[in-house]
Amino acid sequence: MPQFFLNKRLILLLVSIIILVALIGFSLREREELTVPEQFLKDATGWIQNVVSRPQSYVTGIFENIKDLQNTYSENKELKSRLDGLAKLESDVQQLKKENNELREILDKKDSLSAYSPIQATVIGRNPDRWHELLIINKGKTNGIEQNMAVVSSNGFIIGKVKSTQQFTSTIQLLTAMDPTNRISAEIQGTDSYFGTIEGYDVERELLELKRIPYDAKIEKDQTVVTSGLGGIFPKGLPIGKVVDTEPDEFGLNQTAYVKPGANFYDIQNVMVVKRDMMQPDLSDMVDDEEEEL
Amino acid sequence: MRKYLLPLLFILFFILESLFVQTLPAEVFNSERILAPRFLMIVILFMTLYGHRDQGLVYGLVFGLLFDVVYTEIIGIYLFMFPLIAYIASKLMRILQSNIVVVSVISILCVVLLELGVYEMNYLINITNMDFSLFLNQRLFPTIVLNLAFIIIFAYPLKRIFEKYATSLRED
Repeated sequence: MPQFFLNKRLILLLVSIIILVALIGFSLREREELTVPEQFLKDATGWIQNVVSRPQSYVTGIFENIKDLQNTYSENKELKSRLDGLAKLESDVQQLKKENNELREILDKKDSLSAYSPIQATVIGRNPDRWHELLIINKGKTNGIEQNMAVVSSNGFIIGKVKSTQQFTSTIQLLTAMDPTNRISAEIQGTDSYFGTIEGYDVERELLELKRIPYDAKIEKDQTVVTSGLGGIFPKGLPIGKVVDTEPDEFGLNQTAYVKPGANFYDIQNVMVVKRDMMQPDLSDMVDDEEEEL
Repeated sequence: MRKYLLPLLFILFFILESLFVQTLPAEVFNSERILAPRFLMIVILFMTLYGHRDQGLVYGLVFGLLFDVVYTEIIGIYLFMFPLIAYIASKLMRILQSNIVVVSVISILCVVLLELGVYEMNYLINITNMDFSLFLNQRLFPTIVLNLAFIIIFAYPLKRIFEKYATSLRED
């Protein structure tokens, strides 16, 4: 038996398994910030990826242009038919905006949940093993990006949130990633609007799950789902997708709606990181207030 | 100058994986299938089998750590899997003859081993809740096909590069 324990390789394997478990445990806990060596490594590789991704995006741009040319004719026809309605819509929007501003001034309400300032960024890398669904973008702390900010695709739909930031790059976690902390407070728009949270993604059907909707809510197909802004970090009114169908949850107390995301999670070149203008209350303040109320 | 060429090659393949996933249009393949490039693993295997074994393992360790930090943000999985699989492959090659076809088959087996290992670990720590049959159909088979194509194209050039490196090591 002692010989068994003297086997060098076996001991090495056991020690490395212990280290493996310790490292995974270390990186799985909720981290406010990555450690400095990690940030340095990510920034260094980000720099190389930045250099490589420029010619790459140029080449793919050419191919996409050719592809676009192929269906220009049919697209043009459809767009022309929509153009007539557009002028009226535009004047309506203008009028409503003006009215909204005037009413706001009367109420003396300056900041709103839906105001935000965007930061444009380019995707320079993507997680290749496809388990974690992370993107790397070329803007970081120096550009004002902070953890948990909302990320929007080029067509305006929400695709995820900022998972971690370094000085010059940051990592985005897509909505399709399975992570229990990946939650968004959402609202189903309609005559009555209902609130729920987006938690989880159905891989097989490729639909987002909008949970915790009241059981008596009447939800129809094709209703639009937007962020509600109640989560604290995301601004209000960013579109997420459209409802496909609903079903009661396992206990029958709530409903779950399946939402078809408006963004394409595979073909992402440019993204917009959304910074909410309204101040976010400090968590420590909130905790103190709660105690006083009690 | 030649000393830096090999690390540069590894960095190139490291970046290439992410570029590949990013540029791969989802419609070309059925988007239900998930293709995971394992180019870095294959290059590390070729380094271990044709170049220098211990250096191959060190490259596996370093790039496993880099992969974890940069791409997954969970340190440990690839740091552990890359050297372990390279080590198993080098042990296997003691029994088998180092013919390029045999090495290619071993590489594919190692890619399967890596996919399975990573899947099991991710399942354990709740990164995924995909069940095993779905994993086989949706991930494993497409991934094998993709990496087989990569091996067919790159096996001979990689063999040449690492054999040259091995002879240059012996001469020094």
